[in-house]
Amino acid sequence: MTQSNVGKLKHLWNSVWDVFHFFFPLVRRARKSKVFYFISFLPVILAGIFKFSQIFTGHPRFEGIYIFSNMIMGFYLQFLILILALFYGTSVCSEELEGKTLTYLTTRPVPKSAIILGKYAAYTTLIALMVVFGLVFAFLILNVDDLLNFSLYKILFRNMAVLVLGLICYTAFFTMIGTFLKRSIMFGLIFSFGWENVIQYFPGSTQRFAIAHYLKSLLPTAQAHEGFAFLLFRLEPTPPALAVLILFLITAGFLILACVIFSWQEYILQD
Amino acid sequence: MKPVIEVQNLSRWYGNVLGLSDVTLQIEPGITGLLGPNGAGKSTFLRLITGQLKPNIGSVWISGQKVRNNYAMFQDLGVCPEQDSFYDELSGWQFLTGLLRLYHLSESEILAKARKALDIVELTPDKDRVIRSYSRGMRQRLKVAQAIAHEPEILILDEPLNGLDPLSRRKIIRLIKSYKEEGKTIVVSSHVLPEIEAMTKRIILIHQGKIFAQGDIHYIRDLIESHPHIISIKCSRPRELVSKFIQHDFVLKVNFIPDDDSLLVETNNRDKFFGLLPSLFVENNIEVFEVTSPDDNLQAVFDYLIGQ
Repeated sequence: MTQSNVGKLKHLWNSVWDVFHFFFPLVRRARKSKVFYFISFLPVILAGIFKFSQIFTGHPRFEGIYIFSNMIMGFYLQFLILILALFYGTSVCSEELEGKTLTYLTTRPVPKSAIILGKYAAYTTLIALMVVFGLVFAFLILNVDDLLNFSLYKILFRNMAVLVLGLICYTAFFTMIGTFLKRSIMFGLIFSFGWENVIQYFPGSTQRFAIAHYLKSLLPTAQAHEGFAFLLFRLEPTPPALAVLILFLITAGFLILACVIFSWQEYILQD
Repeated sequence: MKPVIEVQNLSRWYGNVLGLSDVTLQIEPGITGLLGPNGAGKSTFLRLITGQLKPNIGSVWISGQKVRNNYAMFQDLGVCPEQDSFYDELSGWQFLTGLLRLYHLSESEILAKARKALDIVELTPDKDRVIRSYSRGMRQRLKVAQAIAHEPEILILDEPLNGLDPLSRRKIIRLIKSYKEEGKTIVVSSHVLPEIEAMTKRIILIHQGKIFAQGDIHYIRDLIESHPHIISIKCSRPRELVSKFIQHDFVLKVNFIPDDDSLLVETNNRDKFFGLLPSLFVENNIEVFEVTSPDDNLQAVFDYLIGQ
């Protein structure tokens, strides 16, 4: 790598960091974030209700870890991370256009790709924190009577890693979509609750065209689940290492595409 | 003097609508006023020279460099956009320091430059308030602050005086003029002739996407002086006033509007006409409700100049 390329990469990295620094506090206090703080805290409330009812009735029908695993598949994987990634990913570009603030960013000495990557990083960090906090609290509440069982923490960390990986990948996809589609939310909803949910029930290798397939391949309880989770989940899993690699490649591909589109696309701010 | 901004055959369409047509010009250091009515193509021109839009035909160079996707150029270029849009949840201070951070400055430089810019536009006492609570004038001044904060050599200001009170307007005009003294290049657009006149003698007249005239402001002033003006007067005894007006040769036509108790007077010498008005009102004891000049705007002048 030549010295000028190293210099360019260093400048890009610094620019991404500066954009991140500008947008992270901004998105943290944004009005929409307050709504999503509440939504991502819902599992904690549900976990509390479940645990209280269990204590009062004195009949533990299900183990905490069983409820937790179903929560991961039913709420987090099929709903929360998709919704968060959709609303934050598409807004990386679209909120600058709708708010007509794009000019403030594109008239600064930072590459356009740094604007996309910096905002993506800021938004992904925030939504990852939302998910992680909700998940940890829900886990602790559900397993409050078994907190010294350290094997459970392995399950928690693995689930957490899968969800964060899912957020990274889905947000990259929706960021890319937001750079060129005007109705990106509508498309995103169809993708999230149509494509991603339906395609996994197709036989053969078709399910490998869904991001959810690779995430589910990584879940610790993926092959040994019971109950209603069975309805949400069918799988011919991809080996974990390959699934992680594919998820990272998908993320990188979508982010590169987003940067290229954003750099070359012309955005006309209506007066 | 070597031109800082060079534009060659610049054209831009929005679908079937012409935004700018075949503009070729050079802009030297100092203040250049871009004057034209709303929708004339001023903002399109400024967006093209700052690389916000791609030209359909033609090219733009700033300091010898192509502008489109040349982010390094913005180290020395400040842009004040026309639209009144902000990250409303931030305070003025957060907005300014956040944007200054994108110049890769040290923390102390960021703070010093932000303080200086806010002092210049007199927003220091309100710096910690959220932008959402700012008045139109304060928002306008904040927009100017973000354009000047990094002390650029070239400033592109799109309608920077919009929404400002007369005092703030005078201060911004003085600020822009002080940049000229420092040898900087400033391009400022407006649809109000006196605003441009207060800043510079060097103007570019733009209309319907074309450069209509460019040069010294006196040339434009002369054109405008010879343009017949229509003045509307609402008063207590309009009929009496008509008889007084027709005695003067600079009054070309008088229309009486009975329903409204008003007159529309056409004159070819606005200064003489306005000189006459107060004495006429006083001598004849006429009560005046309103004096307006409905066509005293740039659009009317342009229409007149291009023979519409």
